[in-house]
Formats: sequence, C-alpha cells, structure tokens
Amino acid sequence: MSVPIKIATLIALVLLVVSRADAQSLVKGAADCKPFAVEHIGIALAGAKEMQAAVKAGDAKAAQAAWIKSRKGWEAVEPITGEFFPKLDEVIDAWPDAKQGYHAIEAALFAGKLDDIGGPVDGLVANLTEFNKQLSAPSFKFEPQGLLNGATKLAYEIGENKSKGGESPYAGTSAEDIYENNEGIEAVYKLVFHETLKARDAKLAQRIVDKIEDVEGFVKGKDLKNVDAAGLNKAGEELAVLLQTAAPKLKLQKPKVGE
Amino acid sequence: MAALSPRLSVVLAVALLALAAMQADARPIVTKEGVLPLGSELNEESLDQPNELFYSELAGGKRSYLLNLGDMLFSSPGILGGVARQAGMSCGTCHQQGHNNPKLFIPGLSHRPGTFDTSGALFNPKADNGVFDAVRVPSLRGAKYLAPYTHDGKFPTLREFTRNAIVNEFAGPEPSPQVLDALEAYLKEIAFLPNPKLGAGGRLTKNASEAARRGEALFNRPFPHDAAMSCAGCHRPDAAFVDHQLHDIGSGGLVKTPTLINANFNAPYFHDGRFDSYGEVVDYFDKQFALGLKDNERADLVAYLDAVGDAQEPTIRNSVEAELDEIAQFISVLDTAIPERNKDVIALTVDTVGGQWRELGESFPAAKDTSVQGGLAERRRARDMVRAIVLSLREIAMAAAGNDFESAAQVYAGYRQQLAQASAGVKAAEAWSLFNPEVREAHFAALNQLAKLAK
Repeated sequence: MSVPIKIATLIALVLLVVSRADAQSLVKGAADCKPFAVEHIGIALAGAKEMQAAVKAGDAKAAQAAWIKSRKGWEAVEPITGEFFPKLDEVIDAWPDAKQGYHAIEAALFAGKLDDIGGPVDGLVANLTEFNKQLSAPSFKFEPQGLLNGATKLAYEIGENKSKGGESPYAGTSAEDIYENNEGIEAVYKLVFHETLKARDAKLAQRIVDKIEDVEGFVKGKDLKNVDAAGLNKAGEELAVLLQTAAPKLKLQKPKVGE
Repeated sequence: MAALSPRLSVVLAVALLALAAMQADARPIVTKEGVLPLGSELNEESLDQPNELFYSELAGGKRSYLLNLGDMLFSSPGILGGVARQAGMSCGTCHQQGHNNPKLFIPGLSHRPGTFDTSGALFNPKADNGVFDAVRVPSLRGAKYLAPYTHDGKFPTLREFTRNAIVNEFAGPEPSPQVLDALEAYLKEIAFLPNPKLGAGGRLTKNASEAARRGEALFNRPFPHDAAMSCAGCHRPDAAFVDHQLHDIGSGGLVKTPTLINANFNAPYFHDGRFDSYGEVVDYFDKQFALGLKDNERADLVAYLDAVGDAQEPTIRNSVEAELDEIAQFISVLDTAIPERNKDVIALTVDTVGGQWRELGESFPAAKDTSVQGGLAERRRARDMVRAIVLSLREIAMAAAGNDFESAAQVYAGYRQQLAQASAGVKAAEAWSLFNPEVREAHFAALNQLAKLAK
C-alpha cells in the first residue's frame, strides 16, 4: 500500500470511529430523554386523574387547577407527542372539534360547566394512560432523528399567531403552554444533541442554547397579553432554522417541520 | 318594564352587535387572554375580499417596486406599535385591500361595526382624548383625488395622514422617509372601481336607470331656500363628487365632503356611520335643508346615488391563487432589497410575507382538526411545504441581519425554486382547505361550538 493510500485509509477509519461515536452519543442521549418524557406524561396523567375526581365531586375550581397541571405536563412532552405517538396526539390534543381531548374539556370547564365533560375527561384519562403505557414499555426507544424533527416542529409552532388567544384561549394558559413547550425543546436539545454539536460546531451549539433562552425570556412569568408576539414568532422561527442547520453536523437529515 | 340605564343599554347594544357579527365565518376574540377586548371582530376570515385595482395596471402598466413595497408595508404589523402590532393588525386590517372593513368591531372603540375611535386609549394612550368619538372607517379607493384626509380634513396630504395613523393612532415608531414614500405611492395607486353607469364628467351613462336619471336632475337642482346650494355643489360630479371642503351639515361639526363613487360599498354612511342606507341619508338632507322632496323624488335620488355608487366586481372570492399572487407581489420587494443590502426592508418583508404564508398554511386544517374530512395527505403536504418555505424566509432575514447578503441571496434563490413546488402543493390541497365553503363551514361550526360551550 502506498503512503497516500495508507493516510487516506487512516483518515477514513478515524472519521468512521468519530461518526460512530457521534451516533452512539446521540443514541445514548435519546435514551436519556425517556425518563424526562415518562416524568412529564406522569404529571399529565396525574393531573387528568385529579381532574376526573374533582369533576365527579362537582368541584369546578379544583378541576380547573388539575386541568392546568395536566396540561403543563403535556406541553413539556410535545416535542415527542406528534412525532412518536401521532394517533394518541390527535385525540388528546384535538382542536377545534369539541368532542374529545384537552380543548373540548377546557371550553366547558373554564366556563364552570361540569355536567357534560365527564365523558371527555374519562376519555382523556384513558388516552393518557395508554400513552404512558406505550411510552414506558421497555421496547419503546426514542431515535435521534425523530427527536430533532419534533423539537424543530415545536419551535416553528411556538411562532404561530397568538393574537386571538393562543392554544388554550379559554383556560388562559397559552403563555405557560409555550413556556413548557420550550422547556421540552431545551430538554431534548441538551440531553441528546448539545454535546455532540458542541464538538463539531461550538458556535452553533451556543447559538441554539441562547435562542432557547430568548424564547424563554419572551414568555416566562407573563400572560399572553404581555408577550411580544412578533418577537416570539421570530425567535421561534430562528430556533427552528438553527436546529435545521445543526442537522447535517449531527449526521442527521434536515428535520421536516410538518406533521 | 323598567327603563334600562344608559350604561346597561350600551353594554347590551355592544353585546347584540357582537352577536350579530358572529356569522358563520366570523371569529370574534373569545378570550380575555387576547390583546384585543373580548368580542373584537377583525373580519379577517371572510372569503369575499374587496376588489383592489391600481391605476398603473388599469393603464396597461405594471406595479412598481415602490407600489409593491407600499402594499407590503400596508399589510405589515411591523410598522405599527403597541397593541396593534401585538394583535397582528396592520393598516390593511381596517382598510382591507385598501377599502374599508364594514365588520370591524372593537368593543369600547366601535359604536357599531365599521366604525373606530382613533383617539381611544387602547391603541395609543398618549392620543386618548377621553371622548368616545368613533368614526366610519373610510375606503381609500381613489384617495389621491380626495384630499384633505380624515373626516375633519385635518391632513392636507396622504403622507401626513399616513404618518399620523402610524405614529399617533397606532403608536408605531417614526416611519422612515422610504416607508412613507412607499405607502404614499401605494395609496395614490388605489383606484376607484370601474362603474359602467358613470361616464365622463361624472355624468350618468345610458346604463343607468330612468329613475337614476331623474335623480341626477334633482341632484343638480338648487335647494328651495338657497339657490346657491345643491347636492352637486358639494359633491361635484366632475371632481370625483367632492369639493375638498369642510361643511357643517348639522351632523356634529365640520366634516369633509365624502366621495359618492363606489359608495354603495362604503356603508355605514356619514362621518360617524350613523346611517345604513341611502334612503336614510336622503331623508336626513330632506329634513335638514327643508328640500320638500316628494316620495318619488326621494326614490329617484336614492336610485341616482345607487348608480353613482355602483361598481363592477366590488368583491372577489379569495382563493389559494389570489393569496399566492399577493405573496408573489410582496416578496418581489426582495429582488431589490437584498442587492441594496436594505436590512430594514428585508426584515419587514420576511415578517410580513412569512406571516402571510403561515396564514395560508393554517387554511389547510391539521390532522387534529377532526371537523374536516378527506384530503388529509394533501393537507399535510401543503402544511409541510408552507412551513418549509416560512423557515427559508426566516433564514434570509437571519443571513441579512448578520450582514451575509450573499447567503441571503442564495437562500432567496432557493426560495424561488421551492415556490413552484409549494404553489403546486397548496393548490392541490385547496379542495380540503378553508377556501372551500363546505370545509370552512365545518371548521367554523366546530369553533363556534367550542365558543358556545365556553359561554
């Protein structure tokens, strides 16, 4: 073997090792996401069960508080819900069809009406239980590409027009929804991608961290009326673009932001 | 039955008006969490849009860069400030396609749909005069012929009128000269709609009815108690039916003579929008100026006003094609702004056009919208493509903000390539979009059902 060929082979081997190490690092990070997701779906389920009990007891205030608690857990796992559990996502988070899911319950519940929401609440508990079961199954594993897709898609959705009241207009928790969404994106990014990206492009890795902080700054401790909607829109889109830019450096496909 | 207190009467009237505004395609604000008051209606969902024509195109020419820039800025929340910007409102919210917005209703600022108090506290506390003096939102068709501007004729030029609207009415930042140049160019281009019943010198043509012709004679006839006065004395047919003057006609101070061209589509009438119909307007003048009109003469005058105020194709049905066409005109601003390294215009264009793409994308109901059946694959594809294109636009703005105009140009070239595919994708999904009245009805019925549950 000639010297140039030996050098080329050596470089290829090194790249292969690095690439495998990256892939292993991402796979390990993806595995680390599971406890985060299980914990937050657990919060969503516990909140839904508390709501179920409160509705049966005729306690509207307690049911509303439980809805908000459940919703926080759900919003934090939104980077994974649509991407890995699309069918359950559709029924749990259906909108605007007022037959099932969080929003069907929300509209009546926050008007203080408990009479007709028993069925949808039971349905939500059942669907979240099923979600928890599928997520917690030992055979279920997150894969990095799906996580990057989910985080990027959610970053895009953060920028959607909220002028008419956002995602939870009747509960009035849309800014909190966005805050939890961003927490979910941050968890996924930091657990799975940050270290690998930092090794390859430290500047981009830092820009993503900074942009996640920017988004947080727009919504933390605020209600929707006081959120700079245009600034939030821009920050959400910029975060999505940065995550897309990171994809090839992570040896992943450019994430699609569709459903 | 006890009489209602004035305050309660106002509250009830506002509630009834808001209810009346809740038509199948209306979507009033339903949450206290929104930046606009509960019950606000911006009438953004209507399928029928006012027709907008430009003088340059009617003359066989083309849209200039300045016109496209002005048109884009007119649709941009980014040039306004405070609550308006926050609510995603633009000049075009009140003046849809350069016309008016007869359904616009903001509790506390509107006393009826189509009116708005420009000196209320909500949009600019500094301009709050403490008086609820809502005025009719005027059409801007033919604006270049209609100086002075605003109902009290406060501004001699469109430029001053525009600056006042941005800075004082809607708390925006001081507009740059290029922004004002472009908006002025746009406003001067908005044409009256063609009306075959109206000929040279503002005379009726043979297309008008006999009653309208009799009304024309009455319109020009001197008033019985003052021969120097006539309807045509102020509404001069040979001068776009205006005299550029203020008059006290007993309606509350001096008001500018409004044009009558295309006025069939400008209701409500009078500066404060107090009248719904020409019949009421004619009755008012009959009494106010002791005209002594007989019933048939009143009818003839109404027929005349109806002929003068008519237009060919006053509205057009909104469609994917129409939205894409507008987006194409707006985005063409980047053809000049990127080579000129004009960061401000690039940022405003990306924000505005990106917002329009997002709205177009939301016309294709998501899988989670189970009120809509069929075409799920097409809807998904359309939404995916729109989202991809929005992010390409954002990438252009990010590159320009970082002074990397070469990358901005490259991404823009990529956007152009994406556009063909995205256009085909959204057109293919139109049958299952909110542009289809049946889909629209199902979607809004679901939204209204949610609103009903929440009452």
